[in-house]
Amino acid sequence: MSSLRTTLAGYVGYRGREGHWGFLLHRITGLGVVLFLAIHIVDTALVYFNPALYMEAIRIYQSTLFGIAEVFLVFCIIYHGINGLRVAFFDLIAPSAWAIYRQRVSVRWTLILTLILWIPASIRMLSNLIEHNF
Amino acid sequence: MEAKLKQRPSALEATAAPGAFERHAWTWMRISGVLLIPLVWIHTLLQDVIVGVHAIDVNYVAARWANLGWRIFDVFLLGFAFAHGMNGVRQVAFEYIHSPRARRITAGVIFALWLVISAIGAIALIGGVNQEFPLQQQ
Repeated sequence: MSSLRTTLAGYVGYRGREGHWGFLLHRITGLGVVLFLAIHIVDTALVYFNPALYMEAIRIYQSTLFGIAEVFLVFCIIYHGINGLRVAFFDLIAPSAWAIYRQRVSVRWTLILTLILWIPASIRMLSNLIEHNF
Repeated sequence: MEAKLKQRPSALEATAAPGAFERHAWTWMRISGVLLIPLVWIHTLLQDVIVGVHAIDVNYVAARWANLGWRIFDVFLLGFAFAHGMNGVRQVAFEYIHSPRARRITAGVIFALWLVISAIGAIALIGGVNQEFPLQQQ
């Protein structure tokens, strides 16, 4: 438990700017996506195990609360993907570019690219939600 | 080697010599991650953005899985995404948990969860939509 406290304190206290934000966001989005994924595998499996219950689960996903959560889920998927690609590129292809300046620039580009993909997707999802739920 | 450690290792010691497994896991996260870009993004773009959750029901899944290509797509999606995700959970957990015993228990629990949930998904993918269910409801 003490190591957990140390780690969490380090998360808040560390002042690594872009690299720090990029790391934290990667971790939060990754844990968020895997939590949803575990639930999503089980709910989809209901089409085989109990199709009537699958329809219940889908009805929950169609609610306004889950519709808004879905917009954030898509943000997590886009950011985690682009940032993961960034990390994989530096690790596997250009390890010499693990330098502070390159990291700061690339994290900023990752966030910009994420927003460029996320905003139109959100508009479509939210208009779909408004059309069906209001 | 791990069993000989008598004192609780520090975070630095615990991560000092990862060994072959951790090296492969490190590479696996990057390779599977790159593969997950087309797999997860196409899935999300189709189901969440283009089709939308309001148009999804048992019949939609049945129609999609009638196509063997989409079923194979979903097999890869299930295999790569959940293994990537659960190994990520393990890596995060290992940053907080340093004693070899606690790490073994944690890894065991995560592995069991991965195995059970993957099996549930795989059974549904093979079994398909249960046709005994009255499909007349639109």
